[in-house]
Amino acid sequence: MKKIFIIIALTVALLSCGNSTQKNSTQKIGLTGAGATFPLPFYNLAFKTYNKSHGTLVTYGGIGSGGGIRSLKDKIVDFGASDAYLSDKKMGQMPFPIVHVPTCMGAVVVAYNIEGIGELHLTPEVLSDIFLGNITKWNDNKIADINTNIKLPELPITVVYRSDGSGTTYVFSDYLSKISNDWKEKVGCAKSLRWPTGIAAKGNPGVAGTIAQTKGAIGYIGSEYAFSLNIPVAVLQNKSGNYIKPSLESISAPASAAIPADTRVMLTNSPAKDAYPIACFTWIVLYKEQAYDGRKIEQAEATIKLLKWMLEDTAQNLTKKVHYAPLPVAAKENAKAILQTITFEGKALK
Amino acid sequence: MKDRALKIGLLVSGTIVLLIMGGIVFTLMSGALPTIKEYGLSFIFSSEWNPNPDREQYGALPFIMGTLMTSFLALLLCIPLSFPIALFTGEYFKGTKAASFISTMVDLLAGIPSIVYGLWGFYTLRPLMVELGLSQQGFGVFTSALVLTIMIIPYATSLSSEFIRMVPNDIKEAAFAMGATRFEVIKKVIFPAAGSGIFASYILALGRALGETMAVTMLIGNVNAIPMGLFDSGNTMASVIANQFGEADGLKLSSLITIGLLLFLLTAIVNSLGRLIIKKLSA
Amino acid sequence: MTNTRYRQIKDKAFFYTVCAITAITMIPLISIIWELIKKGIKHINFSFFTEVAPSTLDAMLAKTAGEGMPGGIANGIVGTLLIVSVASLIAIPIGVLAGVQLAEKANSKFSHAIRFTAELLNGVPSIVLGIIAYAWVVRPITGGYSALAGSLALAIMMLPLIIRSTEESIKMLPTSLKEASLALGASYATTTIKIILPSAMSGMFTGILLSISRVMGETAPLILTALGSSVISLDLSKPSSAVPLLIWEFYNDPYLIDMIWSSSLFLLGLILLFNITAKQISKKWKTQ
Repeated sequence: MKKIFIIIALTVALLSCGNSTQKNSTQKIGLTGAGATFPLPFYNLAFKTYNKSHGTLVTYGGIGSGGGIRSLKDKIVDFGASDAYLSDKKMGQMPFPIVHVPTCMGAVVVAYNIEGIGELHLTPEVLSDIFLGNITKWNDNKIADINTNIKLPELPITVVYRSDGSGTTYVFSDYLSKISNDWKEKVGCAKSLRWPTGIAAKGNPGVAGTIAQTKGAIGYIGSEYAFSLNIPVAVLQNKSGNYIKPSLESISAPASAAIPADTRVMLTNSPAKDAYPIACFTWIVLYKEQAYDGRKIEQAEATIKLLKWMLEDTAQNLTKKVHYAPLPVAAKENAKAILQTITFEGKALK
Repeated sequence: MKDRALKIGLLVSGTIVLLIMGGIVFTLMSGALPTIKEYGLSFIFSSEWNPNPDREQYGALPFIMGTLMTSFLALLLCIPLSFPIALFTGEYFKGTKAASFISTMVDLLAGIPSIVYGLWGFYTLRPLMVELGLSQQGFGVFTSALVLTIMIIPYATSLSSEFIRMVPNDIKEAAFAMGATRFEVIKKVIFPAAGSGIFASYILALGRALGETMAVTMLIGNVNAIPMGLFDSGNTMASVIANQFGEADGLKLSSLITIGLLLFLLTAIVNSLGRLIIKKLSA
Repeated sequence: MTNTRYRQIKDKAFFYTVCAITAITMIPLISIIWELIKKGIKHINFSFFTEVAPSTLDAMLAKTAGEGMPGGIANGIVGTLLIVSVASLIAIPIGVLAGVQLAEKANSKFSHAIRFTAELLNGVPSIVLGIIAYAWVVRPITGGYSALAGSLALAIMMLPLIIRSTEESIKMLPTSLKEASLALGASYATTTIKIILPSAMSGMFTGILLSISRVMGETAPLILTALGSSVISLDLSKPSSAVPLLIWEFYNDPYLIDMIWSSSLFLLGLILLFNITAKQISKKWKTQ
C-alpha cells in the first residue's frame, strides 16, 4: 500500500517538475484572464484561434465580472473582463489606474413562452410594468393595444429573472432604470436585485429552460444565447419610437453614435433610430502601467499583442459567427487609442 | 524508534487538521468583519436582502431557514431509505452478488456530479412535482430536499453497511445460539455494536446536505424569503453564496462570507446536538 | 399465539420490509444512472478521450453539417486525474493518521477537538473551500489560478470522510486483536501498521473511495482555484481543466450542452473503475 503511494507521489512530482523546467527553457508565455460570462463563447473561440495562429496559450475563466475585477485587483491575472464598466469610485479602489478596452457587443433580449402567437411587441412602459408586477395577465389591455394583430391568451404572466449575479441583469436593469422612474426608485440597477415579482433561475440556460417549461413566462437572456437556440424574442420600441428586432445590425447601431474616449458608457436606450434599445459593450480591463509587482515586459507585451489582435478583423469577424456583434469603426478606433496609452515603466508598449 | 515516529505522525496529522480548521475560521472571520461591524447579531435575524449596492441591506435569516428545512427534511427522508439498504447489503445478503450489485449502484450515486443532480432534478423531478399538483412551478424546499435525499443516501448507506458488516460474527452467533430471531439480533446486537458508526455516517450525510450547493441552487427557486410551507420556494446559505459570489464586492462579499461562517456555526450546533441526543438515548 | 410465533412473524415482516424498501429506493437510483447512460453514450468515442473540448463554433458547425459532436474532454480528464491524485496524496495520509489518533486515544481533549473539526469541515459548502483555497494558495503561493489550489480545496473536502471512517473502522475491531499482537511482542508501530490498519481496511477503503467519488464531481471549488484550461496541462502551478469544470462550461453553452451527459458518464465510469480496483486490492491485502 505504502509502495503504491510512494510511486504515485514520485510520478506526480516528477511530472509537475518536468513541466516547469520545460517552461523555463523555452520561455513560453501564457496569459490568464478572468471575468464576465457574457462574452465567454466568443472569448473561448478567439483565444483558441489566437493560440493556433500565434502559439500563445490564453486561459480565460468565466467566473463573473466581479470575480474578474477581484482577480485583477489581486494581480493574479493579466486582464479582467466585465460587462459593466467600473465607476470612478470603484476605479479609485484599484491599486493602480486601469483602462477599459471594449472587445465586442451584445444585447439583452426578452424571451417569452406564449403559444401560437407571432412576434410580441413591447413598449418601454409595458415592459417595465410587466417586470414591476403592475401588469399580471397577458390579455391586459395595455399589451393588447400595442399588439393588435395577435390574440393574447388569458394567461397569468410569470416573470423569470437571474438568481446569480450577472452582467446581463446589470444591463437589463440599467435600461429599465432609464425608461422607468418607478423602476429606478423601487429596484434600481445592479448585477443582482431585489425583484418585485417572479421566479429566479440560474444562468442563461436556467432562465431559458424555465421560460420554455412555463406557459406565460417572460424573462431576459443574453442575445448570443437566444440567437443560438432561435428562442422567440420580443420586438422592443426604442427611444426614437421604432420597433426594433434584435439583430447583429441593430445591436451595433447604438455604438455608431458618439461615445466617450474611454469608452465607459452604457449603450442602453440609445437615441439612434435603428438601434436595439438594450445593447451593450463588454470590456477587458487592465492596468495602464504594466510594470507592477515584478511583472515582466514580455508578459505585458504579450498581453497588448493579444488585445490588439482582438480588435483586428480576424477576431472581430469571429464575433458574428457566434452571434455577437463586432465593434463599429468608431469604437474600434477608441479602443486602439486606449491601447496606445498603456505603458511599461512609462514607455509606450509596441 | 518506529513507535516514536508513528506517535509523532499521529500528533502532526491531528494538529494539521486543527490548524486547517483554525485557518478557515480565521480567513472567514477576517472576510466577515465588515458585515459584523455593520449589522452585529441582527444579521442572523434579519430577512432583508437587497443586493443592489446602492441600497444594500443584508440579512441571513431566509437562508438559514432554507438550509435547515432542506437538510433536515433530506435526512429525515434518507434514514428510512438507507438503513434498510445498509441492512440488506451488510447483513441479510452479506457477501452475495445481489449485495455487491446494490452497493456498487449506490456507490456510483456518490460520484454523480452535483450539477448533474441539479439538472436531473430540473428536467425530471420538477415537472413531476408540477404534475402531481404539489407545487406550481416545481421549485421549492420539498423538491430540493428530495434531490438532497438521493444525494446523501450513498454516504449514509455505504458507511453504515460497512459498519454493520464489521460486527464480529461471534457475538452474533452467541445471540443466535440463545434463540434470537434475525430481527432481534439486528435490534439487540448489531445496532448497539455498529451504532456509533451508523450515527457517524448519518452526521456525515447531514453535513453533506447542509453544504450542498449546485443541485439545490437549481431547484430551490432562489427566492430570498423564508419558506412558509414545504412547497414554497426559498434559498439556502450555500446556494446564495454560490450564486452571488462571482459578482460580489465590498459589503455584499463580506455578507456572503459571514453566511459561510454562519453555516460553520450551524453545522457545529447541529453536530453537538446530535451527540447529546445519542448520549441521552444510549444512557 | 405463542411468543415465539409472534417473534417469528416480526422477523419475517421486518425482512420483507427491508427488501421492499431496498427495491423501491433502487428505482430512482437506477433511473438516474440509466438516463445518464442513455443520454451520454452517443458522444463517447475514441476522440472523446483524446481530444480537448471543442469550441462553441466547432460544435455549431458540426451540428449544422449533421455530424456528431467533435472534440472530447481530454483536457478535463487529465486535469481531474491530476487534481484528484494530488488531493488524495494530501488527504489520505493526514486523514488515516488522524483517524488512528482518534481511535487510539478516543477520549483525550485533542481527539475530541479533531473529531468535532472533522464533522464541521464536512458541512462547509464546497464554494467556501474554494474561497479558502483562493486566499491560501492562489494569491500567496502560486500567484495565480492553479491546479494545486484546486487540489487543496478538494483535499480538505476529503478529510472528514477519511478520518471518521478510519476511526470507526478501527473502533469496531475487537480489542483482542490489538492485545494479542502486543502480547506477542510486536511494537506499537508494527501493531498499528501491520495488524490494525489491514484489518480495518475495508471500512477505510469505503471512506477513501467515497471521498474520492465526492470530489471528482465537484465544480464550485474548482471555479475559484483551477479556473479551467483549453489544453492538456500537468503543471500544478498553472490553471487546469477538470471534468466538472467542463460540465459547467458545457451547461452554459447552447451548442455544447449535450456533452454534459457523456462527461458525467465518464466520471461514473471512472468511479466504477476505482471501486472495482479498490475492492480487488483490499481482497489481496486481506489474504496477504
